[in-house]
Amino acid sequence: MRKILLGTTAAVGAALLAPMAAEAQEAPTVRVGGYFRAYYGYTQQNGQAPTNVSMGGLSGGPNDSNAQLGNTFASARNGHNDFSTDAEVHVFVNGKTANGLTYGAVIEIEFDSSEGTVRSDARRAFSRKTGAAIDEMYAFIASPTLGQIRFGDEDGPFGGLMNVGWVSNFGTGGAYGDFESFIVRPTRTGTTPGSVGDNTKIIYLSPQFFGFDFGLSYAANEGEGEDTGCLNSFASLNCDRVYAATGIAGNGRSHDQPGRMNEIQWAARWRGSVAGVGLAVGASGMFSQVVRDISATGVITRNLRNPELYQVGAQATYMGFTVGGGYMWGNTNYYYIPTLRGDKDMSMFFGGASYTAGPFTVGANFYSGQYAGTAFTPANANGQRRWAYSIGATYRLAPGLDLLAEFVRQEMKEPGVSALIPTGNLAPGSSGDVRDRGKASVFLTGIRLAF
Amino acid sequence: MKPFFLAACAALPLLAACGDNVRGVQNDEYGDWRGSSPRQRSLGATGSGLVVFGVDKEREAREAAAATGGAGLAVNAYLWRATLDTLSFMPLASADPFGGTIITDWYTPPGAQNERFRAQAYVMGRQLRSDGVRVQVFRQVNERGQWVDSPVSPATNSEFEDKVLARARELRSQSAQR
Repeated sequence: MRKILLGTTAAVGAALLAPMAAEAQEAPTVRVGGYFRAYYGYTQQNGQAPTNVSMGGLSGGPNDSNAQLGNTFASARNGHNDFSTDAEVHVFVNGKTANGLTYGAVIEIEFDSSEGTVRSDARRAFSRKTGAAIDEMYAFIASPTLGQIRFGDEDGPFGGLMNVGWVSNFGTGGAYGDFESFIVRPTRTGTTPGSVGDNTKIIYLSPQFFGFDFGLSYAANEGEGEDTGCLNSFASLNCDRVYAATGIAGNGRSHDQPGRMNEIQWAARWRGSVAGVGLAVGASGMFSQVVRDISATGVITRNLRNPELYQVGAQATYMGFTVGGGYMWGNTNYYYIPTLRGDKDMSMFFGGASYTAGPFTVGANFYSGQYAGTAFTPANANGQRRWAYSIGATYRLAPGLDLLAEFVRQEMKEPGVSALIPTGNLAPGSSGDVRDRGKASVFLTGIRLAF
Repeated sequence: MKPFFLAACAALPLLAACGDNVRGVQNDEYGDWRGSSPRQRSLGATGSGLVVFGVDKEREAREAAAATGGAGLAVNAYLWRATLDTLSFMPLASADPFGGTIITDWYTPPGAQNERFRAQAYVMGRQLRSDGVRVQVFRQVNERGQWVDSPVSPATNSEFEDKVLARARELRSQSAQR
């Protein structure tokens, strides 16, 4: 009996520990990776020749003899040709414990912390366009049978980690790619998973089970990095932990201001192959609370809607062909900005196809969405429509080294809202010339090296 | 819906712990919404980047794989090849590249019809080392129609091993010149 008992215990122990017992502890390694890319771009965009319109003065600070404070009326013209470079340096720490857990940290350093600036060193008061900043940084602990936990500044399951249907394996990513580097706002960006941001969160990612896996994340707010985000020694709109602020209906609806609190993202996907066709289907979503409004006398009300978003997508791959697409909907505006009650809901389709033969990949993709727009008024009851399409190609010269070319067209329109595009030929103070449609085309070609 | 979802979430890791259809999802399987983006494809993330601190396990594995001549062998390719070459004058009974064992069938030399030999060779490990191979030779003699075991001089085994090592060295230097 004792023998049987011991045998059973040993068998159970072996069964429980078997996947881990064979592992050997590995000291952590530190790796450096990243990418560099350089493109030539030919850009056509409307609204790039404003005459005599109000522009932000170029205040160079006390050291700038040309300082102009405040808005002044001015004219400017943008040309078509430009080069654009970008790089990121990533640090990867990876280790393994004796019982089979893997752990590590990822720190990604990017060099595009400022979108607009003058040439570096020209005016010291301006931030450099190539200033370094941290993109993502997080630590993870992973078990092959229990999944992994990530903690830090990282995309969530809905905001980039587990989305399905975004075909972007050609060029720079087509309509979701780097054409943005050549375009001036407001036609600059699309509402992609990456626009959700990488606010500090804790993420659980499950193991794969019969092809199925899921992820969940929680973020306290939209803040990332260290410190509180407060610009003053008292609470203000900029603070990470702000839950009520005066005038939030205006300020909280900017992409640069906090709006979400207690954000939960989830995603589930199935990946497998049926009759030789690689398939992936997935659904994901995000719920959060929203920063409320507080009057000067301290009365708190909620005038923005709690963001609630869903996304479904599917993708199929066969003999080098990839086809994918999906649909996203919810009550936020473009860039997932919270909306007012009564605003138009978001409704957005995306899709694409690509074909890979040896080192060549060609592809095309698009998105098309309707959003609440810049302001819900009777004039733009239809909200804003924004769409883009792209075709592109990649030639892989060597592992990690790509030559690429692509064309992207992006448009937006918001009937009756002239504030979108800088108007031209206006007398100061006039509001006659309504330009409610933004259009941009970019052809870009260049080189990208991942290391 | 919500309770079901929560239950599924709670149950999955438990189910996951006891099935063959479970595997850990690798870090490079996330973030594919913009799959072409180099930041998702950084070579450092997938193990071939530059190691600045620590032991490069991937590189060790790569070099070991190169030394074994590919994924099919679990033992040193030079020793394995050399052992096969050395014992090739005898008929082969079995060869297991994963266990590293080579067993020959009985072989009767043309000049001595009343004795026969067979050999067992063990290739041990992935390193090309002088103690990486063991050869054991068995001998039988025919006594009035019956094969009976007969001792082999201890030097025979080590002579075989020396021949294997010499051949392995030859193969190694040949491949190095290429």
